[in-house]
Amino acid sequence: MKRTFVMAGALALAALTMPAKADKLDDIIASGTLRCAVVLDFPPMGFRDENNQPVGFDVDYCRDLAKALGVEAEIVETTFPERIPALMSGRVDVAVASTSDTLERAKTVGFTIPYYAFENAVVANEKSGIESWEDMKGKTIGATAGTYEAIWIEGRLKEWGAGEFRPYQNQADVFLALSQGQIDATVSTVEVAEANVKSGKFPGIRIVDKAPMVPDYVGLITLREEYGLINYMNLFINQQVRTGRYQELYRKWVGDGEPADLTVKGVYR
Amino acid sequence: MFDTALTVNDLLFLARGAGMTLLVTAIAVGLGTLMGIVFGVVRYQVGPWWGAPLTFFLDIFRSIPLLIQLVLANAFVTTVLGFRVSGFTVACGVLSLYTAAYCAEIVRGGIEAVPQTVRRAARSLGMSWGQDMTHIVLPLATRVALPSWIGLALGVMKDTSLVFVVQVVELLKSTQILITRLQEPLFLLLICGLFYFLISFPIARFGGYLEKKWLAND
Amino acid sequence: MFNYTFRWNQALKSLPQMLEGALVTMEIAILSMVIGIAIAIVLTLFRLSPLRPLRAVAAVWVEIARNTPALFQIYMVHFGLGSFGIHLTPYLSLLIGIAYNNAGYLTENFRGALTAIPETQTRAARSLGMTSLQAFRHVVMPQMLRIAFLPMTNQMVWAILMTSLGAVVAMNSDLYGVANDLNARTFRTFEIFAIAAVIFYLITKTITISARLLAARLFRY
Repeated sequence: MKRTFVMAGALALAALTMPAKADKLDDIIASGTLRCAVVLDFPPMGFRDENNQPVGFDVDYCRDLAKALGVEAEIVETTFPERIPALMSGRVDVAVASTSDTLERAKTVGFTIPYYAFENAVVANEKSGIESWEDMKGKTIGATAGTYEAIWIEGRLKEWGAGEFRPYQNQADVFLALSQGQIDATVSTVEVAEANVKSGKFPGIRIVDKAPMVPDYVGLITLREEYGLINYMNLFINQQVRTGRYQELYRKWVGDGEPADLTVKGVYR
Repeated sequence: MFDTALTVNDLLFLARGAGMTLLVTAIAVGLGTLMGIVFGVVRYQVGPWWGAPLTFFLDIFRSIPLLIQLVLANAFVTTVLGFRVSGFTVACGVLSLYTAAYCAEIVRGGIEAVPQTVRRAARSLGMSWGQDMTHIVLPLATRVALPSWIGLALGVMKDTSLVFVVQVVELLKSTQILITRLQEPLFLLLICGLFYFLISFPIARFGGYLEKKWLAND
Repeated sequence: MFNYTFRWNQALKSLPQMLEGALVTMEIAILSMVIGIAIAIVLTLFRLSPLRPLRAVAAVWVEIARNTPALFQIYMVHFGLGSFGIHLTPYLSLLIGIAYNNAGYLTENFRGALTAIPETQTRAARSLGMTSLQAFRHVVMPQMLRIAFLPMTNQMVWAILMTSLGAVVAMNSDLYGVANDLNARTFRTFEIFAIAAVIFYLITKTITISARLLAARLFRY
């Protein structure tokens, strides 16, 4: 009698301590917190309010995801170059950080279906004399290191064989440098460019042109092998659109009008 | 000149960043000094030949940019080994070893500055190695080492400005966050610089004073 | 054992790029030392000068350089001066930032070295008819530089290490900048920075060892 009791106890203990191949989705639910990397120098997607609390489209999106999972959301601020390293180092569970779904990145992290799509604009300092995107030829252009825009600009400058590229370590420094006239122009998403111009905090900057880039689809990211979580998030994004929450968040943070279509014509997924 | 939108709330935010700077500094200097003393004594005791592996290990921390140490340690512990540790832990760990590497040099220099004759005299009076170390070497070596140690501690405080790479929000990062929101770079940077200065300057002065005083007494 | 797949190939492929970066790093460090030493000599003269404003300039320079983080100083050169409309390229911002820091620390080292040179030498030189500047130039300075040789090598190593801070001002052609750029693109953080770390280690070791050899040759009495 006593022996079976001990054995049963040992078995129960083993069952409790042995990790039964729990994946990240289980871990998040078990821990009760969803840790999201969000970029907070990227208004209106992510920024800080007067109390220095994180707010914005991406912040709300993370909170919605946490709510769906039935856990608390924890916002971890990262810069653009830091968001994937933060994910890889396990400091966050997912990044809700307007991450463009490039094939290069997909070698390292796992993308969901797009949850937002950007158009990119050329933002110039008024003194630079830049009127169209082609005027960037031969000028000093800045962007945040490693971003979709940065890679595009570097490609153009290389093609033109004229001009200087400056990779700053975060988005805020790019606009600071642009406003100070240290760089002549940058390429940024229309939403962010408009928010920054409208804020009036960056005197002398102006949106001059659309950048002729392929629409910038951005996805949520997590570790490459976390299919369970990616699957969950794909459905979550689908539900956000289906329930009208996507549009609601768009109206709240970006403005009136229709948010971008998240489907690509003529191809699956 | 400074028509600022800075609020009391923002100052509290900066103060929290400053608190983080001081906390990381305190932990790194505390642990680093303890380790540094152990490493320094061991290296002195075992001699240059047997101490070579330790010397090599410590030398790494003085030959590679701290920024790379932080990035590399963070990637190694969390991504390669797969341990779930916070950025704060990584920052404190790396800075402690970094401090220890410099501190070991200072300790060794301090011990070497104690004349051999004095120590032999102590031993011939029947003191044990431990007694010799605590009653003779410690007080004499401290005099030599303390000014350098103060310099090291202040150096570490300034170097904590790099822990932003492992997502620790200290003073300089807090300042940048506020710059992002308020777009008053010059004013905010001056506040940030002033804070470092106000902590570092008096302590550095005190170190200089000790050095001068003890030099004069020799 | 590790749940991590190393991809050294990709990182090693960028080795030539990193070595090029290493040259830029050394160039900046050397230039910043040359400028730093020149300024430190001037600041040392300022400190010895009877004119109060000159002494104040030297004091302010040295204390700010020594009591604020180097990262702060470099950021300030780029964005601080930038708000006054003074625009410096990343290269110049980094170079000036490090040179500023070097000058501050070296001035302090020179002060230490000066205490080892007897006052009587200057007086002897003056009585030979030299001006005080000449006395400094021909009698004091050579000894000062010799005594401060070791701290100067340390500062040179510091200068190398400080080049890693250039990324905050968009510097991307030095060793750290190249590694950082590669990392932002490929995310092979460990591999890339491990290679960069080895290169940094080799550079700093080369400097300290050759300085020791040089010192042994130069300062044989």
